[in-house]
Parts: sequence; C-alpha cells; structure tokens
Amino acid sequence: MSQFIQGLLRLKRGPWEMVATLLIALGVFMLMQPFVMWGFTYSFITTLIGTVMFIIVSHFRE
Amino acid sequence: MSSFSATAPSARSKWFAGTLVILYALITMIPLAWIMLTGFKSPADAISYPPKVFFEPTLEGYVNLFTTRTRQTDDFLAANPPQTWYEEIVRQYDMVIAGPSKFGERFLNSVIIGFGSTFLSIFLGTLAAYAFSRFKIPLADDLLFFILSTRMMPPIAVAIPIFLMYRQLGLSDTHLGMILLYTAVNISLAVWLLKGFIDEIPREYEEAALIDGYTRFQAFYKVVLPQAATGIASTAIFCLIFAWNEYAFAVLLTSGTAQTAPPFIPTIIGVGGLDWPAVAAGATIFLLPVMIFTVALRKHLLRGITFGAVRK
Amino acid sequence: MTETPLTHAARATPPSVARKIKGLSDRAIAWIFVGPTIFLLLAINIFPLIWTINLSFTNFRANRPGREVDYVGLRNYERILNDSDIWLNMQATAHFLFWTILLQVLIGFTLAYLINKKFKGNDLWTTIIVLPMMLSPAVVGNFWKFLYQPQIGLFNYIVAFFTGKDPSSFEMLGSVQLAPWSIVIVDTWMWTPFVMLICLAGLRSIPDYIYEAAEIDRASKLRQFFTITIPMVLPFLMLAVLFRGIENFKMFDLVVQLTGGGPGSTTELTSINLKREAFEKWRTGYASAYAIILFVTVFGLASIYVKALNKVKER
Repeated sequence: MSQFIQGLLRLKRGPWEMVATLLIALGVFMLMQPFVMWGFTYSFITTLIGTVMFIIVSHFRE
Repeated sequence: MSSFSATAPSARSKWFAGTLVILYALITMIPLAWIMLTGFKSPADAISYPPKVFFEPTLEGYVNLFTTRTRQTDDFLAANPPQTWYEEIVRQYDMVIAGPSKFGERFLNSVIIGFGSTFLSIFLGTLAAYAFSRFKIPLADDLLFFILSTRMMPPIAVAIPIFLMYRQLGLSDTHLGMILLYTAVNISLAVWLLKGFIDEIPREYEEAALIDGYTRFQAFYKVVLPQAATGIASTAIFCLIFAWNEYAFAVLLTSGTAQTAPPFIPTIIGVGGLDWPAVAAGATIFLLPVMIFTVALRKHLLRGITFGAVRK
Repeated sequence: MTETPLTHAARATPPSVARKIKGLSDRAIAWIFVGPTIFLLLAINIFPLIWTINLSFTNFRANRPGREVDYVGLRNYERILNDSDIWLNMQATAHFLFWTILLQVLIGFTLAYLINKKFKGNDLWTTIIVLPMMLSPAVVGNFWKFLYQPQIGLFNYIVAFFTGKDPSSFEMLGSVQLAPWSIVIVDTWMWTPFVMLICLAGLRSIPDYIYEAAEIDRASKLRQFFTITIPMVLPFLMLAVLFRGIENFKMFDLVVQLTGGGPGSTTELTSINLKREAFEKWRTGYASAYAIILFVTVFGLASIYVKALNKVKER
C-alpha cells in the first residue's frame, strides 16, 4: 500500500493507471446501475475524468 | 507429448469431454440447419405446426427470392403455357414472373463494397503496418491506440456526422461512400494484424537486401510482401467478412443504389407478411460464403478477432 | 516514450545499414506509408467526431437545414443525464451486458476446458462451434425472429417438447418478461465461441511443466485448477470480458432485427435509443450529446482493453 502511494507521489505510470482504470470502471458502473438517479447523473463526468486521466498518465515513466 | 505424462488426460475424461463438446456443437448447429432447411420449404410447410423436419423440397423460396411476380387472369395463363421450371413453380399460384427482384443487385452491392473496401484497407494497411513495424515513428504507441480506438467507436454515434457530411458531399447511398466508410473502419484491424505479421519477419532479410543495393521500396515488395503473403490473405478475409456483415451504417446511409444485402434480406415480403422461405434462401446464400471462409481461416481466427493480441 | 511490446520491434535500422540505403530516406518513407491511413481516419473518424462534439452544444435538427441553430451550452447533456427514461435504457443495457457476459464466460470457459483435453477430432468440432460468431448479426437476428415465432417457431416447439407447455402460451419476443431474455439467448448462442477461443488460447499458454511440478508436490487436481489454471487464464478472460462488454454496450444490429427495441422499450438498448433520437425524431443536437456520452464510455473501456491486451502480449 505504501509502495502504491509512493508510486503516486513519484508520478509513476503503474499506480496512476490503476487509479484511472478504477475511475472509468466506477463511471461505467454508475451509468448503468439501477439504484440511484444521481449516480447516473454524475456517471459521465466520472468516466470523462477517468479517460482523460488515463491518456495523460500513460505518458508517465514506468 | 511423451508416452508417459502425469498431466495427460485419461482416455475416459477425453471421451467424456468429447461427448459434451460434440453435443454442444450439434445444438448450436440447429438454428443454422433449420434456416437452411426452411429455404427449401414451401410457404405452407415453413409455417406448419408442428415444425416439419421431413418435407417435400422445393425451390420456391429461391425462385421467390430472385424474382418479382404478378397475378394474372386465367385466360392469360391458359394462353401462355410455362416455358421453364421456375415459371412452372410460380404458376401453381396463378402468377407469372414479372422480372428479377432486387436481391441480385443488393448481393452485387455487397460484393462490390466488400471487395472494394477490403482492397483499399489492405493496400493502405500494409503500408502503414510496415512503417509502424520497421521505422521509428514519433508517438507510435499513441497513433496505434488512436487507430485501434476508431474501431471501437459505436457506429450509431459516428453515423450522425457522417450522415450530415455525406449529404453535403453527395456521397450518401453511393458505392464510393460506403467503400470509404468501411475502409476507415477496417483499416484499424488491418494495421494491427499486419503489424503483427510483419513484426514476425526477421528484419535481417531486408537488411541483407538493402546492403545488396535494393532501395527501401524494392526491399519492401520483393522481400517483405512475399513473406507476409499468408498474413495479408487472412487479414483480407477478416476485412471482407466485416464489410460483408455490416448492418448499422448500411441501414442508415443507404436506401437504394448502394444498399447491401443485410438490410435488404429482412424486408423480403410475400403474401401476408414475410416470405420466410425466400428470407431463409437469401440468408443461406448470404451466409454460406462466410462459413466457407471461416473454415479456411480457422488457424488465424483468434489472431483476427483479438486484433493480433493472441497469436495461436 | 516507454518501451512496450508495441514499439519494441520498431527499433531503428542499424546505422551501418542505414548509410547504405539508396533512394528516399527512411523518415520520408515512413510518412508516405503512414500518411494515407492517418488522413483517411482523420477525415472519416476524427473530423466527424469533432463535428459531433460541436453539434452536441446546439439545438440543431438535421431534417430542418434552414432553421437557425442556437448554442445551448451544456443543456443537452443536462437533459440526457437527468432523463429517467434514458436511465431505464441504460439498465436494460446493463441487464443484457451482465447476463450475456456471465453466461458466455461460464459456457465458454467450460467448453475451452473440455476441448483442451485434446480428444480426437477436437479441431473439427471447434471450427463448427465457432461458425455462429462469424455471421452477419442482422441476418442472425432476423432468422432467430423466425425461430421465436409463438405458433410456428422451432424454439417454442422445442421448449414445449421438453416442458410440456403449450407452444403458443408464451411469446419470447412479445412479452415484457421474456423479451430481455430472448436477446440474451441469441447473443450467448452467437458469441460464446469467442470467449471459448480466447480461454482456449489461455489454457494452451500454460506450460506442462507447471502441472508436472504440482503433481510432484502431490497437489490435488482441484487445487491445481484453482492455483494454476484459473490464475493463468484470468488475463485472457479479462480480455474477453472487456471486448464483449464494449461490443455489447454498442449492440445494435442483432437486437434491432430481433425485437426492434420492443415490446415497449424493454429491449431498447442505448444504441437503438440513440438511433431513434437521431434518425427518427431528428433531434440531432441532443442525439450528438448522447453519442458523445456513449463514445466517452466506450473510449474509456477501450483504453483499459488495450492495457489488458498488452499484458496478454507480454506472455
């Protein structure tokens, strides 16, 4: 876990890609879940942030 | 495999596995077999209950698929006895053949657009794949991802602006428009697959040729192309199958001249609703080439459907 | 640029060779070769995409070209993301996605596991199983509609034969309860072979010596399955799940031919809904915003897919 946080601080690619992947997955889940309306409403912005983040962090050092 | 191995499955488990797999294969074949049978049924047999497995085969479905028919008066029918076997089939319903149906045209459109776009995507794709494989291209990873992501776009989402753009340029419902569109979709697959195939050709071959005084172009088409021939052929079949099967763009962007078979087949209407034997006949003729190609492709199937990720 | 499997083959030609090459420089050739592809994709994919983004901020209607177009800011997005009907379409899509992926993974993996026993003739049967996947989804949807007919369809007859129900007592396509399952069945029939093929590749990538070592350690077959087979196949399975997820999220042709979105809107998946907004109601601006929402979702999933793909390639 601490290694993960260190990776984030040092702008390493691996952990940041993980964060972006989780955001995208969360956004997709929010888009299609049948439970709460606000989840659907804010799904797009979550996915969008995740995707843009993914594009940026895939250029970080390994 | 060695004669004795701790991991080799026993004869009994092999037999068990084989039985289950064959059972599954037979069950999945039922719908396909059924549609092919229906093509040889008369309309009455096609909608009979219980469904008929044994019936008197007729080519009515195929005749109806390829012709348009009109009802005629008894006098006319008596004065003009049927000349051919297909005319005779139609006569049992007091009809005569008025002319060819649109199916032939639609099928031909599928062939033209399929082969046209395949040729273009393979031509452009081979060049691009060679460049990605052999040269240092700035931002190569990003370009490759960009190329792949275009394939992932939902067709309906892309169709809105393409529809507007084609309307402006006069490309809607033209062969050229559809060929360009399918090329754009297929080129991503072509580049990814072909890059994999070209990566596997040792670069030493070309480098030897280059030292012998070949130019890059000569080395490309005299050394690399022959080596990549199998890969290019299987990529071409994948592109062809995609263009052949495509429906969403075809139904939104074509309506007449350039319409392909998939949007057309479900609209074959007979007396009182869909003419199921004719639809089944159309589906059979349309699906058969793909089945044959699939068998031919079986060694490269995985490679094609995973964009070259899985080799074997 | 980091070194990934994508670029590792593209190292530069050694200088000793490069100096001797006649004709155009490598750099010029590279651009001549890649140029046309990039141009075509820009013209037919990226330019339209930018146009869609632009349209998504307007109230443009494609069936009334003469009308004045106003920029409405983010209003289209706001309306879509607060529309409970669209939310319902998303849930219909989720039902379709969840069940097709679950069934395809279960059946596909089982089949791959069985085929990997290498019984006699497994190649032939694998090829036969794969056939449905290669066919035109629209034509497949159309002929399954025939099989699902309540009075005359083969599907109803077979179900009736095994359950003793009256074959005209249930309508797969006409009933609100059954229609969502009818599309799940057809998609599973069509795409299980895809998952099977990828699982098979995963299983075949496991070297025999790992099992032999486990055998020496006297690990039970069940233990071997959970500690060797499953973890080794998992990356491949991820790939299959992501790919099917993306494909089924944009599902259009098969379902449109099968149910047309009905009855009501029970099987109206997002792409079908989008097609109605864009090409039947002609709310082009609104539909463009909708398209962008779907596109971003697919693009996000696609980036994860490419990551998973590279992971498998490293194997």
